[in-house]
Amino acid sequence: MQVAAVLTPPDFGQTGLQDTPAPSHPEVFDNPEDWAAFSRSAGASADADLWESQLLVRGMYCAACSLTLEQALLAVKGVVAAHVSAASGRASVTWSSALTRPSLWMTAPLALGYQLVPASDAFEAHDSRQQVRLVLWRWLVAGFCMMQVMMYAAPAYFSQPGDITPDIEKLLRWASWVLCLPVLIFSSQPFFASALRDLRQRRISMDLPVAIGVAVTFAVSTAATFEPQGWWGREVYFDSLSMFVFFLLTGRFLEQRLRSRTAGSLGALTERLQASVERQAADGHFERVATRRLRVGDVMRVMPGEAFAADGTIVAGDTLADEALLTGESRPVPRALGASVMTGSYNLANAVEVRVDKTGVDTRYAQIVALMQRASVEKPRLAVLADKVAKPFLMFVLLAAVMAAAFWWGTDPSRALMAAVAVLVVTCPCALSLATPTAMLTSAGLLARHGVLVRHLQAIESLADIDTIIFDKTGTLTDASIGVRDVQTREGITRAQALQLASSVALHSLHPVSQALVAAANASALPKGVEVSDVKEVAGQGLEGQLTGVAIAGLSGKLRLGSARFCRIEASSSDVMQVWLADDLGWVARFELDETVRAEAAKAIGALQARGFEVHMLSGDRAATARHVASGLGIDASRVQGDCTPQTKLALMQALQQGGRKVLMVGDGLNDGPVLAAANVSVAVGLAVPLAQAQADFVMPGAQLMMLPAMLAHARSTLRVVRQNLWWAVIYNAACVPLALAGWLPAWLAGLGMALSSLLVMANAARLAKLKGGV
Amino acid sequence: MDILFLLVPLSVLLALAVMGLLAWAVWSGQFEDVEREGERILQEDNQKPH
Repeated sequence: MQVAAVLTPPDFGQTGLQDTPAPSHPEVFDNPEDWAAFSRSAGASADADLWESQLLVRGMYCAACSLTLEQALLAVKGVVAAHVSAASGRASVTWSSALTRPSLWMTAPLALGYQLVPASDAFEAHDSRQQVRLVLWRWLVAGFCMMQVMMYAAPAYFSQPGDITPDIEKLLRWASWVLCLPVLIFSSQPFFASALRDLRQRRISMDLPVAIGVAVTFAVSTAATFEPQGWWGREVYFDSLSMFVFFLLTGRFLEQRLRSRTAGSLGALTERLQASVERQAADGHFERVATRRLRVGDVMRVMPGEAFAADGTIVAGDTLADEALLTGESRPVPRALGASVMTGSYNLANAVEVRVDKTGVDTRYAQIVALMQRASVEKPRLAVLADKVAKPFLMFVLLAAVMAAAFWWGTDPSRALMAAVAVLVVTCPCALSLATPTAMLTSAGLLARHGVLVRHLQAIESLADIDTIIFDKTGTLTDASIGVRDVQTREGITRAQALQLASSVALHSLHPVSQALVAAANASALPKGVEVSDVKEVAGQGLEGQLTGVAIAGLSGKLRLGSARFCRIEASSSDVMQVWLADDLGWVARFELDETVRAEAAKAIGALQARGFEVHMLSGDRAATARHVASGLGIDASRVQGDCTPQTKLALMQALQQGGRKVLMVGDGLNDGPVLAAANVSVAVGLAVPLAQAQADFVMPGAQLMMLPAMLAHARSTLRVVRQNLWWAVIYNAACVPLALAGWLPAWLAGLGMALSSLLVMANAARLAKLKGGV
Repeated sequence: MDILFLLVPLSVLLALAVMGLLAWAVWSGQFEDVEREGERILQEDNQKPH
């Protein structure tokens, strides 16, 4: 989908979803206007325009499918890159419009049995609802048939030999057979479909063993029902069959739910815009139109609970907005008349009317969505490894099943077949493949809810090894605004008076220094009384104005506020940023200015040091200033370096890395790009750089520094969960395969075990949806 | 026990009939948004029922 689609869902008017183009006709997407609904330009090279399209994948039931689908897409001429994520069911395809068309590469995977659907809102809503119903229906059929088949099987378990007459037994078997048919034909259909697809492709995947298991069990039982005298024996396994299909489907059903709740929390963040908005028509009343029809200058009405569909300015009403995703500010922020609101933030309190200032890809929301979606289809290293291991493992499973069958054949052919079935069913490496991506995606979703955007899932793993943290000073530990640190005054003038005078002049200017003076005066809550008139700003030098109103002893004439030269004062140059205030008699006051340190900085650094991280600070600022800020934050002076150019920062960090340290670089991304890129993990703080250009692994638009210790702790628990999951998958298989080989594991128990092992992995990952250690 | 020859096939038919009912329930969306009907009582009277 990417940006364009979130913001411009198809317009489906009054008739509802029936109007959306059938995805079975991909030609309709060949029109550039239509493919723009789920694609975005990925830059143009000399010979080709590159587009990046976001799609949903249908027909992908297991994690190992993603590799096949990627290969199939890459085989199409003109497709530059393809990433498929089994965990989120999404694909991202980069292709060249000079060499191919969406219909060409969208039809390529059809032969393999996968269907690609453009990931725009309406398709997705319709698509996922049908999918959920189908899965639920398959599961209900299997469950209901299982119950009934158990009824018919129960007499055979509880009766003494001879209690049931052969004709009644035959009748019960017949009834079981009839009710197993829907289980076989309908409920097991996903296993068969994907197994057949794999056979045609001459490869194996997780569904192949399951499908063979189901087919063999049914064949043996059917044969025993209709021809009890054959070599297959007279045992029937209809109850086992319906039970393990039911358990496997239960696993899948719950897995799908968990997935949409945890991994899908990313989706929830990125798909919060409604398909339509209330727009003011020419005659003044409001009408519902598709969100993509919004244009700059339109007025829309936004109800409480809705998300703002565009960046805009409030023209009527006032409200509270939830901007947590966009700025990291978790508390609701008041948005009064005239205030600007951001796309994707929620209107919490009252209905407001908003004039649209920006729409579509220009908004910060769109950039965030693009960023998160790219990250969510990426495969972390451990997941790639698991996928690689899965293939040879499946070969081993098939071989083991054949060997088990061969071993038991001599004693009892029927038991041989059932042992083979148990091996096939119990060993599905689903848990192995799900282990890493589910945990990582859950974490990424959680961090995003707390205002930290993850650009690379891999970085979560690297973050867990970090032992050293380097902070950039300006824009990271300090915010961009300036504060007054020290005031010196002429005799007879108090500090408060000086600030009051300076602020009444500075009021007339928007210069950051002026704003700092005004803020300082307000902060000391001065009584207002002095007035300054005829204020003029001399660009780049200072302000001057005439003093009127309440007289202050010892002051006369014109007030000047600015540099020493502007105030006609002979002053030695100093290290510190300073501003002078002067009247006709000479200097009145000298203000020393300083950047203000972020409120959370000291607490965050304290927390990091308490947890054993080594904290460094590198600054391009003067060494004295850097040390001053560092001492206020509790950073050891030996770990502070001032006067750094980007090159020296890089050299210092590489020296640390060569000393075996794993370095997390926290910067604003403005002038420390190379340092961020070379660090083991990087965090870009604040919004100094547009999101799309920030070259960091994590982006923290709200600069909530207290998230850093929480993030580091969370990364460690994420990796712990991944390791637990991988170990669990390995141990489970190591324990169950021998049991199944020995013929001690009935097929229904194997199905239950398989389903439970996948669920355990998903549930373990779901634990990560809560942030531990507090923020 | 001859009656079983009638009852067992009947039970199969009954099971199939129940499944037909379930099919209707699933595909008409009875299992989606199970909270809504309960919450409707809390809504204001002048709202149109969904």
